Formats: sequence, structure tokens, C-alpha cells
Amino acid sequence: MTRLIMTVDDSASMREMVRATLTAAGYEVVEAVDGQEALDYARDNPCDLVISDVNMPRMDGITLVHELRNLPHYRLTPLLLLTTESSAEKKLEGKRAGATGWIVKPFNPEQLLATMARVL
Amino acid sequence: MATRKLPPALPQFSHIGRFWDREHHCFSAKLLPGEYYVTTTGEQIATVLGSCVSACVRDRRTGIGGMNHFMLPQDASRGTSVWGAAVSAATRYGYVAMERLINDILKLGSSRDHLEVKLVGGGKVLGASAIDVGARNIEFVRRYVSDEGFIVAGEDLGDVHARKVQYSPSTGRLRVKKLKAVRNDTLYERERSYLEGLEKQPVDNDIELF
Repeated sequence: MTRLIMTVDDSASMREMVRATLTAAGYEVVEAVDGQEALDYARDNPCDLVISDVNMPRMDGITLVHELRNLPHYRLTPLLLLTTESSAEKKLEGKRAGATGWIVKPFNPEQLLATMARVL
Repeated sequence: MATRKLPPALPQFSHIGRFWDREHHCFSAKLLPGEYYVTTTGEQIATVLGSCVSACVRDRRTGIGGMNHFMLPQDASRGTSVWGAAVSAATRYGYVAMERLINDILKLGSSRDHLEVKLVGGGKVLGASAIDVGARNIEFVRRYVSDEGFIVAGEDLGDVHARKVQYSPSTGRLRVKKLKAVRNDTLYERERSYLEGLEKQPVDNDIELF
């Protein structure tokens, strides 16, 4: 069965880049423009994996990870943060919120897919 | 006599060179290829562009804004277009140059709806024999702002000249002086070594699994 991946980013070009990479690899992709939209979707819809930006309006990616971990059907879902942020403090915040991993942009498509395969 | 006290730079920009601009009576940050700068204090941002491009971005309400200075690395494997079916490494590099600038402005309390964008640079400065790297940079930056839904309030792109650029985020004013004759090759050498540096950069991701 096709795996469903949610990509969360306030930048349309970034969502498009992730979508192009993932659909070419056979994944099904659903998009959200910020953490709030992602959380609203996630409440009723389990995904197999979430790739989220960190800095976004309304709800940032770290808060989204924290909120998703409170949903029973997202407790074990791999949650990857994909961001231009690379500071140790931010990474630690992401880890504490319950993120599975941290990927610094610009992402390399092959490595993103390999990382996903490891955690799925 | 008015005091000229250098306003504090945001912490992430403490390495950027700044000087007092006597002509415009303000402090000015000077960008080299690959750098960007965001200011909240009414400073000006200056640079010289050959085939590189700069995006000037500001919040219309608050006057907080900044400018970048970048070019796309060569990407021979993907043909001439920077927006092929596959996402090229060059495009991803340009994307990050834009996102860093925009994110730093958004973090200061702005929102995407209030951003005003001006685009400048991308000259075909190296004559007919060279690949038109300026055109690739223009194609990228135009497509990026259009995909992101930003309104371009002004642009001065292309042509065959280098440009001296001064941008004031507090007013949105962009001054461009076309350099009909470049006195020496410093500008082109700087762009060339920037480009060579980009091509040597490892393409590996910084990935950490917790």
C-alpha cells in the first residue's frame, strides 16, 4: 500500500520540491501550509510520516511535533523536521518535543529518501 | 554635529562589514557574494552585482527588511533550465538563500502578506563567449517570488552591465547605478571565486536522527 506523507511548510516552493521528490519515489503526499493546518488534518487522518519546517506562522514545527505526540495515532509516527535552522539549542528543542530527526536545508533528495526509509 | 553611533547589528550579522555613508548620511552594510543582511534600525545595505542577483525584501508596515546577494552554482547534469522536473541542487541552493533572508524578517514579527520584494542584478557581464549565468539567476529568482506569491514592487534585471546597488529597507528605496566600465577585475574575480567555492561545497545533508 502506498505510504502517505505529510509535508508542512509555509513556503510553496519548498512544498513543491518535497512533493516532487516524494511522488517520484512512489509516495502519496498531502500538504499543509503551517503547523495549525497540519494538526487539524492530523486529528482525523493518520499519516505514515510527517516532514515539517520549523519557522512557520500560526504554529511552528516544534509545537506541531509536541501536539502530534499527544495524539494516540501519532505517538509512534516518524516526525522529521526540515529547516534552515541548525543550532544545537533548536535541535535539542526538537528532540525534546519528540521529533524523530532533524534535516538541515538544502536537502539532498537521495539522502532525504534514504533517511525516510530508515525511520519508516 | 550629529553623533554617528554604529547601531547594534542583529547577532547573526555581526560579521558583516558596515561603514558610514557620507553621501546619504546613514550607516551602510556592505554585502559580499553569498552574504545577506537584515536591519531594524534604518541602515542602508549596499553591494556590487555582476551576474549575481539580490532580492530586497521588507515589511511595508514596519520598514524592517534586508537584502541577499547570491548566484546559483552550475548544474551541468540538469540541462539549461533551473526548474526541471527534478529539483536540481542549484535550485535548492537558491531556495535556501531566499528562505534565510525571508525567515529572518518573519522572525522579527512580519508576515508574508506584508512583504514587498524588489529584484536586481543578473547582468551578462562576461561578454558573448561566456555562459549567461546571469540569466539562470534571473530565471530562478523570478520563478521563486512568483511561486511564493510575492508581489514584485520593482526590478532591474539583466542587461550587460555590473551594478552598484544601495537599498534602504526603512523606505523601500533601491538605488541602482549601472557601471558602464568596471575599472578592474575585482568584481569578476570575487564572483568567480564565490562560484568555485559553491561547486566545491559538499552536497551532503546535515541529518541527525534522535
